[in-house]
Amino acid sequence: MNSRFLRDHWAGLVAVALLVAGCYIGLFVAPAERHMGQVQRIMYVHVPTAWNALLCFTCAFVAAIGSLWTGRERWDATLVGAAEAGIVLNGLLLVQGSLWGRATWGVWWDWDVRLTTSLILLLLFIGVLSLRSFAAGTERRASLTAVAAIVAYVDVPLVYFCVRWWRSLHQIQSSPATVDPAMVLPLRLNAFGLMFAAVWFIVRRARLELARRRGGETALPERAKMIEVPHA
Amino acid sequence: MSELRSQTLTLLAKDLRLEWRAKARLVAVAVFGLLSLVVFSIAVGPDSKALTAGAAGFLVIALLLSSTLALAESFRIEHERRALEGILLLPVRPGAIFYSKAVANTLSLAMLAPGLSLFGVVLYGVELQPANVVNFFAIWFLAAAGLSAPGTLYAAMTSQLRSRDVLLPLLLFPLVVPVLMASCKALALALTGDPMRQMQSWALLLLCFDLIYWSLGGILFPFVIEEG
Amino acid sequence: MLENMPSGVIAGGWNFVVAAYSITAIGLFLYAWSLIRRTRQQAKKEEKS
Repeated sequence: MNSRFLRDHWAGLVAVALLVAGCYIGLFVAPAERHMGQVQRIMYVHVPTAWNALLCFTCAFVAAIGSLWTGRERWDATLVGAAEAGIVLNGLLLVQGSLWGRATWGVWWDWDVRLTTSLILLLLFIGVLSLRSFAAGTERRASLTAVAAIVAYVDVPLVYFCVRWWRSLHQIQSSPATVDPAMVLPLRLNAFGLMFAAVWFIVRRARLELARRRGGETALPERAKMIEVPHA
Repeated sequence: MSELRSQTLTLLAKDLRLEWRAKARLVAVAVFGLLSLVVFSIAVGPDSKALTAGAAGFLVIALLLSSTLALAESFRIEHERRALEGILLLPVRPGAIFYSKAVANTLSLAMLAPGLSLFGVVLYGVELQPANVVNFFAIWFLAAAGLSAPGTLYAAMTSQLRSRDVLLPLLLFPLVVPVLMASCKALALALTGDPMRQMQSWALLLLCFDLIYWSLGGILFPFVIEEG
Repeated sequence: MLENMPSGVIAGGWNFVVAAYSITAIGLFLYAWSLIRRTRQQAKKEEKS
């Protein structure tokens, strides 16, 4: 392994190591929960996914403010990376939540506070990225994405409180103090593992965005190249 | 502040005159709202009890669907003869453009209320108690304002993009979920009676949403319109 | 009689646990793979131009 590979991918490697350890302990070492039985083990991956999805969207929000404030392309690239990583984690979160709901409540979906809020959050940020894909011109695209991301993120607490009044059935949040220490360890390992995975995703995606920008500004359009080929 | 207010009022007069001259468009939006009410009753079927129970929700969805048309139109006409570019040449604050458009949109959406609710009374068999009429229209106005502020911002953002007709609802619908929830609940309470005095808290939530997005829209609008 | 009473523990459920973990792993892997693939495509494009 050369040093460049390590420099590019250290976060991904750390993430894999932590996630393998966390999932192993969560699946085979930690004891089964008293009421939930084995199904409780979904929580060791579900809760860290939820934390990190929210972390990604918060990162996207901060990057959006930075992008509007300074107009620098690094912020814009970070915003895209964080939004995309957040969408991936949030999508997985909904699948896990659905499986958990089926196993414990007997239904695939329930309109409970956090489930509904995360669904809306996912739809909001999918909207932001699709708006971006339609916008033309790099600067215009950056400002539209940033404005849409800020507007979307501000909506989250409103949706949360609204759905909470609307109805509720979700598990009461448990802080690590109330659960068995053997259950805390896989939770922590997976949380940090997913955090490093998210860092790797964001950095990779941001780099890709910056590279595309440079390429888009200097390279010839696709069609022009295709015409050139037979002459060469 | 007073400069922003006077500019907003001047532009608002222009926007309202524009709306008034294009009465046909406003009528078309209202007819579209009525049409969606008819479509809902076809979907839910001849069971009049189910229709009465869902009446508030159907009214709000009709408002939402008509709002996407009205909002998209409000910026399309500005771009049509490059009118917006003309306004931007004047020493006008971008915030004033946003607020005048948002107020004009709120007013035209609020004007749908009497027609749609009358149709709702006829089609869905709901009874609007005289005591609740004021509450009903106040909630409707708050909901219209809640749709208009983010809707005007998004309409300005998408008005020049290729797939604007798809993008506006895609962005707006998830965003206004709190408005939909709160106004559905509050309007249902206005129609069926409010023994637990819950309507106030829903109205408060709508008011919070309105305050947040009316201020955010004014702050963010300059970034949207700059290169417009 | 008491033996037939449900114990209050959700029995089984391993299939749900396995499904949740494997879908998460596959999802993360696919996204990572798509990132690497897109980066490579971009690098190729840059080499050509």
